[in-house]
Amino acid sequence: MFSKKQNFLIWSILILILIILFLFDIVLGSVRLPFIEVIKLIFTGNTEHPEYATIIYRFRIPKALTALFAGFALSVSGLQMQTVFRNPLAGPYVLGISAGASLGVALLVMGLSTFTVVSQIGVLGNWTIVLAAWLGSGLILFLILIVSIRVRDIMTILILGIMFGSATTAIVSILQYFSNESMLKAFIVWTMGSLGGVSLTQLKVLIPSIIIGLVITFLLIKALNAMLVGENYAKSMGLNVRLSRFLIFFSTSLLAGSITAFCGPIGFIGIAVPHIARIVFKTANHKVLLPGTMLLGGIVLLLSDIISQLPGHERTLPINSITALVGIPVVIWIIIRNQKITSV
Amino acid sequence: MKREGNILKIDHLEIGYPEKGKSNNILYRGINLCGQSGELIALIGKNGIGKSTLLRNISGLQSSLNGTINYFDKQKQAYSRADFAKMISFVSTEIVNVTNLSVFDLVSLGRFPHTNWLGKLTTKDVNNTARALEMVGMSSFARKNVNEISDGERQRVMIARTLAQDTKMIVLDEPTAFLDLPNKYEIIHLLNKLSKEENKTIIFSTHDLNIAIQEADKIWLMLDDKIVEGAPEDLILDETFNKIFEKSNLRFDKIKGDFKMQKKHHCKIGLIGEGPQYTWTKKALERLNFYVEKGNDSIQYVKIETGNNFCKWTLLDDELKHVFNSIYDLSIHLKNTNPSADLTAEGMTGRPKN
Repeated sequence: MFSKKQNFLIWSILILILIILFLFDIVLGSVRLPFIEVIKLIFTGNTEHPEYATIIYRFRIPKALTALFAGFALSVSGLQMQTVFRNPLAGPYVLGISAGASLGVALLVMGLSTFTVVSQIGVLGNWTIVLAAWLGSGLILFLILIVSIRVRDIMTILILGIMFGSATTAIVSILQYFSNESMLKAFIVWTMGSLGGVSLTQLKVLIPSIIIGLVITFLLIKALNAMLVGENYAKSMGLNVRLSRFLIFFSTSLLAGSITAFCGPIGFIGIAVPHIARIVFKTANHKVLLPGTMLLGGIVLLLSDIISQLPGHERTLPINSITALVGIPVVIWIIIRNQKITSV
Repeated sequence: MKREGNILKIDHLEIGYPEKGKSNNILYRGINLCGQSGELIALIGKNGIGKSTLLRNISGLQSSLNGTINYFDKQKQAYSRADFAKMISFVSTEIVNVTNLSVFDLVSLGRFPHTNWLGKLTTKDVNNTARALEMVGMSSFARKNVNEISDGERQRVMIARTLAQDTKMIVLDEPTAFLDLPNKYEIIHLLNKLSKEENKTIIFSTHDLNIAIQEADKIWLMLDDKIVEGAPEDLILDETFNKIFEKSNLRFDKIKGDFKMQKKHHCKIGLIGEGPQYTWTKKALERLNFYVEKGNDSIQYVKIETGNNFCKWTLLDDELKHVFNSIYDLSIHLKNTNPSADLTAEGMTGRPKN
């Protein structure tokens, strides 16, 4: 716990870092843009180079916004899962949401190709993949919600989530086995994650979904705090445990499911960032931890996106590898420094 | 037992777990109990008899199969979640161990039913939390993290959380389970103090009978066939306590106020001596399955001689005579010369083999 003054300082620094990284992310890309021009364009709206405006508005800003909101969504849903399951290794995907999305995409990309002559994924279009992923994660969400209403023990739900995930992964493997090379590659590329594939139109769907999920989570701060001490205590203090659990699962699925649908499964952010937030803010109170996790999630994913563009200007590295490579050392360092991460 | 002013009244309660398609899994039935304000009630019974389930039923965490529980003459359904949580609070056996959760934050969670939807702590909530910590003597721990304090301290903090919740009734499931002896006494004494000073009805389950007998106003005794309530002294005098562990060899010693293992005695031994040396030598000999008689009428006997700075034990056995400087040496000798004495071989009576 810090004093209010210290907290204010931490918040200001983090917000500043977030803004700088956001601008950096817009500047960097396959076409080199002068920093000054970009800043001028963003803040005044005028530029002598109309082609810059096109690049920035059509590609760079959507990508930076995607990174920002994906960071918010994945880290916040990870935090919720860690609190609900009281398990430091829980993340947004423990409920099997990404596995469900993969199933949707795999069925579309590989399943469809075995029946039709469609050989180009481009023909199916971006929206189709998004829809398939959303349907897949929605199916898993539906199963989890039914389970959460009927099953009392939270650990049973965790195990069932993992089982659903494993079952869908198994089906995906079968599909992979029977699909042809180009379809397989299209699927593998999807699983590597991408922040750059989201268009401005799609953002108009993605961002509101994330905002709804985040609003629900913020309304649940009190419930999440009570759940820290376990569902028995939460219930004895007057919390409607089933309703809260339902809402938490719903918002997690909306947050993680939407991001997975549009960007593919982006790993590691959801598990790592809540731990970083706990170290930075030294509290378990969600009133601080939730906005803190959100902010740090945005920072980490923007940073990962920037790093993924460093090797050259032609190609970008898969974001999924970067989030892992950036996050893992951080978490290892944190765990070794604070060997008290025994439970959430 | 009909009395006016019962805060808690349990009638014909049947507890257990419902099973679909089959008949319910009934743990215990026919529970009739009551609790009044300012009472410290100890729930006693052997492992697995349903103490925790009963406490979970009382604190509203689990539904009963049959029967009623009245809180201030109304059943749980008559209260809203928040109102029920303002009336009864609960401490489970679960150890709460959350990284980075401060003692103050944990205790302030008790204000849950009193705060607004965001859980914002008003000045009143902060004051209540601080006062709760003060009542359990943990004010100086407010800024510490809950995973940095000892089990005894954590139990105090959990009790403080129920005090912050500001309820008429507090239910605790084995609050002394993980504690060392001084902490056991202190926690139960604290509960006694709170029940009197704050006029709360506090119900706790325990296996520490000595402490329960000393501190509780009333005991709910779960026997195999029925549940009995009464002042601890009443239950001792009418020998109800003896029925707790009917199937084992434990018997309650009315005079000493403690349980004692009943053993089959195989050999007689005489004992001559006085004072604490006599008492403890007798205990040691009984532990070795001897039936101890005062005097030297038995075939073998022990004589205790005490002086200013010494104490020695003489074992006289026919013509043989052994002198020992400690009870331990005596017991080693007896074990070696009476191989059957500490074993449970049947039919060994009278004089042991040499």
